[in-house]
Amino acid sequence: MTVLATASQMNISRFGEDGIRILFGETYDLEIHEKVRNFYFFMRSLALPEIIDLTPSFRSCLIHFDTRLTNFACLSSLLREKEDESLCTGNTPDPTLHEIPVHYGGPDALDMKVVCRQTGLAQSDVIAIHSAVIYTVFAVGFIPGFPYMGTLDRRIHVPRLETPRTRIVAGSVGIAQGQTGVYPFPSPAGWRIIGRTDARLFNPGKEPYSLLQIGDKVKYISA
Amino acid sequence: MIEIIHQGTMTCIVDSGRYGYAAVGVPPSAALDGFAYGALNRLLGQDGHAPALEIIGAQFSLRFHEAMTCAITGALVRASLDDNPLNPWMSFSAAAGSILKVHEVIEGFRYYLGFAGSMALERVIDRFATNLECGFGGYKGRALTFGDRINIDDCYDIPRGAIPGNAIPGMKSPHLLRVTAGPEYHYFTDAAQKIFAERKGRSVYDVSATINRTGIRLEGQPLTFRDDVDKSIISEGILPGTVQIPGDGLPIIMLYERTIGGYARVARVIRADLDRLAHLQPGDYVLFELVAMAEAEHLWEDRQKRLAALRQVCRRVS
Repeated sequence: MTVLATASQMNISRFGEDGIRILFGETYDLEIHEKVRNFYFFMRSLALPEIIDLTPSFRSCLIHFDTRLTNFACLSSLLREKEDESLCTGNTPDPTLHEIPVHYGGPDALDMKVVCRQTGLAQSDVIAIHSAVIYTVFAVGFIPGFPYMGTLDRRIHVPRLETPRTRIVAGSVGIAQGQTGVYPFPSPAGWRIIGRTDARLFNPGKEPYSLLQIGDKVKYISA
Repeated sequence: MIEIIHQGTMTCIVDSGRYGYAAVGVPPSAALDGFAYGALNRLLGQDGHAPALEIIGAQFSLRFHEAMTCAITGALVRASLDDNPLNPWMSFSAAAGSILKVHEVIEGFRYYLGFAGSMALERVIDRFATNLECGFGGYKGRALTFGDRINIDDCYDIPRGAIPGNAIPGMKSPHLLRVTAGPEYHYFTDAAQKIFAERKGRSVYDVSATINRTGIRLEGQPLTFRDDVDKSIISEGILPGTVQIPGDGLPIIMLYERTIGGYARVARVIRADLDRLAHLQPGDYVLFELVAMAEAEHLWEDRQKRLAALRQVCRRVS
């Protein structure tokens, strides 16, 4: 039982009739993200039938619930009751480190030249800087298996495209502001493409479907 | 077996939707008009998750290679089975060799066709729905086209039925979409909030040509962000019916193909009005209206009751 009115670490609000948004911080960093992860894996471990889906991301987790089995008041008081427990690491797996080989530059790296121009760096510097960091998967989404990863070195921060491309090839490696990601399927894309990987990020035929899970670590290897 | 002779503007396999994998970005890809899809399942005595065809446009045509019972719901169409006219929202028996043709879509945009039997399709990530963008689920992960054949196994008999006209929801423009405030509702100026969804002074939006199963872009008066907010948000979970406002201030209504969004979520279309989104087509008019959560919940209960009531009505009329 919580006796003191300590500041809660979870800001709970509604998102439509069947959604609850739990916000863990105003901005995002590894500490806030760790709370999101702990919460997400804790909720999963409960396997509550009234929870249809969970969408963890940078600083929040969205819960989609079944209104036939619960309601906002019940679910949010349950969350409050279990707040301390849900922020513990007990159910949280250790992140997996993945090495992803990338062909930088070349015909599929549609924006490498623009990125060099915008940053004032040589292609070899962009590659060295991009592949030096061990990134954290902050969220998986947009399309199945797409990892939103951070944090990109400031020297290669570039804005998104003003007008997204309607289609890029599967495996395209992109950067935008402080983030980097890989497009698992041919899809529309608003990020700057600097390379391509042969790694398969999403396989709908085999669990766990997505190569990368929230919290995993990724190191790009220049191939 | 059924064989597609003409796919109309677009035809794909849908079902009740793929849930439980949002954490790895897998969207529901569900039937957009859940009420019409639910009615179809009831007409065919199915469990509410059976695969069905979701079709856009006239000219759709299909050959039955064996006798079976089918049903059609959703947009009101003028259709025929060989030379016999078919009524919308009814089940009917098709003889082997007969041809179903849709001549005209009279009201609404998407319609649904289902069969009293099991479509021979593979489940992918638990469901039959097609993820068109990523090419999995449904029929070979793609929209159906001329010549595609699907086996219908275990055909069963079921009494024919029809949904009475007064139980069929309206699908005509203008579409009044009721919404509840989204997490970034306060990102917009008071004037913008009025323009968006207040009865007095709200803007009428046009459905643009940019619509697909992922989202619907609207055109009209842009919404102005407050000066002290960032126009793009830290990407976060969304649910079907989320209304996002990108930098240009014009609303995009998200459907069942995204789990995460990076634009300000001004509002969410109430669940009772999500079915209507299936019928927004280029040139239609849209009006938003902000309602209280309690009203949204009440309207959803009412929608669920109307759907449940179809079980009784549809058998009587045959």
